[in-house]
Amino acid sequence: MAKIGIMSFAHMHANGYAACLNELPEAELVAVWDDNAKRGREAAKQYGTSFVGDMDRFLESGLDGVIVTSENVKHRAMVEAAAAAGKWVLCEKPLATTVADAKAIIAACKKAEVGLSTAFPCRFSPPLIEVRDLIESGEYGVLYAANCTNNGQCPGGWFAQEELSGGGATMDHTVHVADLLRWMTGREFTWVYCENGMLVHDNLGMDDLGSLHMEMEGGLKVSHTASWSRCKSFPAWGDVTLEIVAEKGVIAVDAFNQKLDVYNDNAMKAEWAHWGSNPDLGLVKEFVASCDERRAPSVTGLDGLRAVEVTVAAYKSAKSGRVVKV
Amino acid sequence: MNVAIIGCNGMGRMHAQMAVNCGFNVVACADLELSTARSVASGFDADATDDCFGVLTRPDVDVVGIMTPTPTHTEYVVAAAKAGKHIFCEKPFGRTVQQCKEAIAAAKKARVKLFVGHVVRYFQEFEAMRAQVAQGKVGKVGFVRLYRGGIFPAGQSGWFRDLEQSGGVTLDSMIHDFDWLRYVFGDADRVFCQALQRTVPNHVDYSMATFRMKNGIIAKVIGTWAHPSGFRVEAEICGDQGIIQFNSDDTPLKAMKRTAPGAGASMIVPSSPVHTSPYQLEWEDFKVWLDGKLRARVTPEDALEAVRMATAALKSAETGKPVKL
Ligand SMILES: NC(=O)c1ccc[n+]([C@@H]2O[C@H](COP(=O)([O-])OP(=O)(O)OC[C@H]3O[C@@H](n4cnc5c(N)ncnc54)[C@H](O)[C@@H]3O)[C@@H](O)[C@H]2O)c1
Repeated sequence: MAKIGIMSFAHMHANGYAACLNELPEAELVAVWDDNAKRGREAAKQYGTSFVGDMDRFLESGLDGVIVTSENVKHRAMVEAAAAAGKWVLCEKPLATTVADAKAIIAACKKAEVGLSTAFPCRFSPPLIEVRDLIESGEYGVLYAANCTNNGQCPGGWFAQEELSGGGATMDHTVHVADLLRWMTGREFTWVYCENGMLVHDNLGMDDLGSLHMEMEGGLKVSHTASWSRCKSFPAWGDVTLEIVAEKGVIAVDAFNQKLDVYNDNAMKAEWAHWGSNPDLGLVKEFVASCDERRAPSVTGLDGLRAVEVTVAAYKSAKSGRVVKV
Repeated sequence: MNVAIIGCNGMGRMHAQMAVNCGFNVVACADLELSTARSVASGFDADATDDCFGVLTRPDVDVVGIMTPTPTHTEYVVAAAKAGKHIFCEKPFGRTVQQCKEAIAAAKKARVKLFVGHVVRYFQEFEAMRAQVAQGKVGKVGFVRLYRGGIFPAGQSGWFRDLEQSGGVTLDSMIHDFDWLRYVFGDADRVFCQALQRTVPNHVDYSMATFRMKNGIIAKVIGTWAHPSGFRVEAEICGDQGIIQFNSDDTPLKAMKRTAPGAGASMIVPSSPVHTSPYQLEWEDFKVWLDGKLRARVTPEDALEAVRMATAALKSAETGKPVKL
């Protein structure tokens, strides 16, 4: 039985991970710590666990691992503290908002000899796993191009405060697809071009959409739309889609398109109820197993860093109007 | 009014019918391949010829329809204008911006009316989207995504495969979307584009372009000639108050034919029938202009700008850099 704690409920994904921990028989959500005590206390109550207000006491409370789901810019300090206390860490994406912070996170975990994982749940989505299998089978031959999206609703709150989030939709919604493509193809990104800005909100104060063009090793051409373009009346939070063009055909995937159309008079908007497998569960299960077996998690900190590098290059490109090497 | 059709394969055959539907007479059909010209001419009781320039000077011809491969458009436009004929030219207007300029100058000089078939402006679904935007249904527009394509087009003698001639999916197909973007959202400032343009081991083209419009809107246009089958159009328009989406796969009608007893359906043919074909609406609009009433919805300058956007995208794909328009 792995004993897991959650550091901060600032990121809404903490709720999903907490629910997974409660669902998994091999894991126990032992404690919650949060720099916002009210938020932490409420979350602890909701998920039937205890709140520990003091971070040092929290880290001393017999935990095997922690999940860090704070505001993006606070990842580094929390991961460093957890690593120093010898805890395995699963850190929310993006791993960090700067390359330097991402590297520091990796170095801290390496020094402390603890496992570090980045929260890329898409790697555990069955439709996306099947895409990877199709590519690996070689049946589709050489890969030529990929056209991707990660659209979502604007999460608001601290996400829209640059000093906490490090950036807008380009920061939030580039890393999943960047990671998926690295994972599916085994290649690294070589350059990025990005146009972004505040396009679909009238006073967010930061970018809510980025249109990226990238290349991966071997000349694989990639375009990606990272956005918070889904309006409040949209039937779902968003999407992850990839259309992969290869020598012997095309693979198109809309990862969350396992849904019911639901019409409800109280909501007064159509809703998509997702019935596909929950990718978070696979992610948390793997992290719990890595804590238990004291081994490196399958999704690593380096994976997190690589995706951060792409994102940082995207912002540099958007600012300079030029192609930026990764 | 009498029409001569030059280039009588895929588009020529169809346009002959559309012209007739609008009350024009098709009197001559010309193609480098006489048999192709004949196969269309016979349906309209028209003359067939392989003298494609000769037909332009026939006194009984009022309007010339140019439905030949793209790089040949300009020479026919210029010759038809010199002969004093009005012109319906298929898109892309020309292979290069320079060609478009020559064509415009020739038509101006001869004072003939020149229409370029940017048919997407007449597609009912695109008109409906334009109307929704105009009604403010999405608020202020910030992002547009347009997607178009399917299999690599065959064409007569494979000229589409010669990217020098056809310009690939970027010039030939995405130009529809480039024109529509300008039509609805104004001029573009710059473009970044990646295009496959592969000829070995198969002919595959797939092109991904991001335009920054002068008003700040970002538009992503994807074109594919990479799919093993089918054809699909998608559109998405995002504003600060809503989203419009269109997907041509979502049709009112799907016909499935069984080829052999006991076998499954061999092919599903999706269909979205409308009362009047958008290609006929083009001819109706052109006719209104010829009759001396309103100017047609598409001007030759519009068609030139669309070619400029496409050639800028191709230049970006070639150089790996953003290109200013
Ligand atoms: N608006 C649309 O939806 C649409 C769709 C397809 C094609 N097009 C455009 O229409 C044009 C024709 O395309 P298509 O699909 O009919 O091509 P196609 O290859 O099917 O037909 C072209 C015809 O022109 C003839 N031809 C070739 N060179 C000629 C020349 N120099 N003079 C006279 N005839 C010549 C060929 O023999 C052939 O019969 C192209 O510019 C294409 O981009 C438009």
